[in-house]
Amino acid sequence: MNRLRLWLLAVGGAGLAALLVAACLDLPGFGGDRHPYGDRAVHASLLRHTANTVASVNFDQRAYDTLGEMSILFAAVLGCVVLLRQARDEHRAPPEPAGVARPVRRYALLVLPVALVTGLYVIAHGQLSPGGGFQGGVVAATALHLLYLGADYGALERVRPLGVYETTDALATGAYLVLGLAPVLAGTAFLANTLLPYGTFNTLSSGGTVPLLNAAIGMEVASAAVVLLAHFLDQAVEIEEEHGS
Amino acid sequence: MNGWNLAAAVLLGAGGTAALWGVTTGPPARRVIAQNMTTSAVCPALLLLSQGYGRPAYVDLALLLALLGPVGTLVFARLLSDDLSDGPPSARVLTWTAAGAGAAVVLAVCVAVGPGRALVKLLVTGALLIGGNIIASRALADGFQGVRGG
Amino acid sequence: MADALIVVALLLVAASATAAVAQRDPARQALVLSFMGVLLAALFTVLQAPDVGLSQLAVGSALTPLLIMLSVRKVRRRGRARKEPE
Repeated sequence: MNRLRLWLLAVGGAGLAALLVAACLDLPGFGGDRHPYGDRAVHASLLRHTANTVASVNFDQRAYDTLGEMSILFAAVLGCVVLLRQARDEHRAPPEPAGVARPVRRYALLVLPVALVTGLYVIAHGQLSPGGGFQGGVVAATALHLLYLGADYGALERVRPLGVYETTDALATGAYLVLGLAPVLAGTAFLANTLLPYGTFNTLSSGGTVPLLNAAIGMEVASAAVVLLAHFLDQAVEIEEEHGS
Repeated sequence: MNGWNLAAAVLLGAGGTAALWGVTTGPPARRVIAQNMTTSAVCPALLLLSQGYGRPAYVDLALLLALLGPVGTLVFARLLSDDLSDGPPSARVLTWTAAGAGAAVVLAVCVAVGPGRALVKLLVTGALLIGGNIIASRALADGFQGVRGG
Repeated sequence: MADALIVVALLLVAASATAAVAQRDPARQALVLSFMGVLLAALFTVLQAPDVGLSQLAVGSALTPLLIMLSVRKVRRRGRARKEPE
């Protein structure tokens, strides 16, 4: 049985290696100056008044791919929630408060709002400068957990009604779908960026539906990260196995 | 290749190599100090790169690292506090050297940028970098006591 | 000469990735991984991909270490709880 598994691994590995080598031989040169796809993407994003081409690719030209990525994150977090739930032979023990040195506590409480604002800034400027919903959402979710690091888990639990974040996660996913379906009702294609005016280039409201989809992703990622970390924290800090079971 | 990029390459090479050596060898206490020093080496390098490439938007990367790097160190300080309690690491000289180097880089980039909104962002980044570095060092030395249940 | 930056960042990422695999203790692996995450962000910046660099920074500098260290803590606590009743 073990030998069969090794053989299977060897065959699979050899096949993967052959395919990778074949793919590498056909790659364009490193750092070349001809980017046919890049030129077209930049042209299309300038037509729609989106300053950050990457945001235009993510939320306009390839918005359907982003829908897939968002569903993957949603499903992955859902899977974690199911796996990390409190089992029948486990019980919750309230965590003891930790002794945190005063400068560390002050730093955490001071940086928390700064990090939250930075996260919102990164989300809001997604279509103008590097960044976007995913990056800003993760920063905003991390910011909340400064309460655990700088104080204790009880403090975090008081400002984190988990149900609200779970609902927000689902709502944001739904919002992305609705934004995608609206153009279908208007008579064009799914997720087509045709409904809203494109606005003035390089302003916060430019890019048509790009800022809206970006905001939906930001909400989804932030609440998904909070829910994910909440279940990890529950398992690591609160939930204990029953003794002698 | 201009002077900014050269400085970034030197900082990234020297600081990165030193931090990598520290983070892979020795007792846990030394490893977390090296992890903290990663932020203070790479964040100024990112500022230099943004100036070297002439792209002010790249400052966002340095801002995010200055915010989240110390948070990462706090994670290790809190969740490894049992391992750190036997020999509390104290790296006063290293911490203040890193803070000084960070301040020098921020100052140089600020002078090159000149007054404006970009300057405010740079100053916020600098304050977060230096403050975060010192506080994270403090947290590693004796920041968390009696973390058992929480 | 601009390639020098790419070479420096690539070498550091490759060395730290190898070092992360070579460690045995998950907590020490997490330390090396967080170093690698930050250097990977620098590499993406040098390759002119700041969007990807920001994603890497956001995930790699605090969130991934927190998830790994929480899992390590849970496993260690369970080990302690199993030993105590005996």
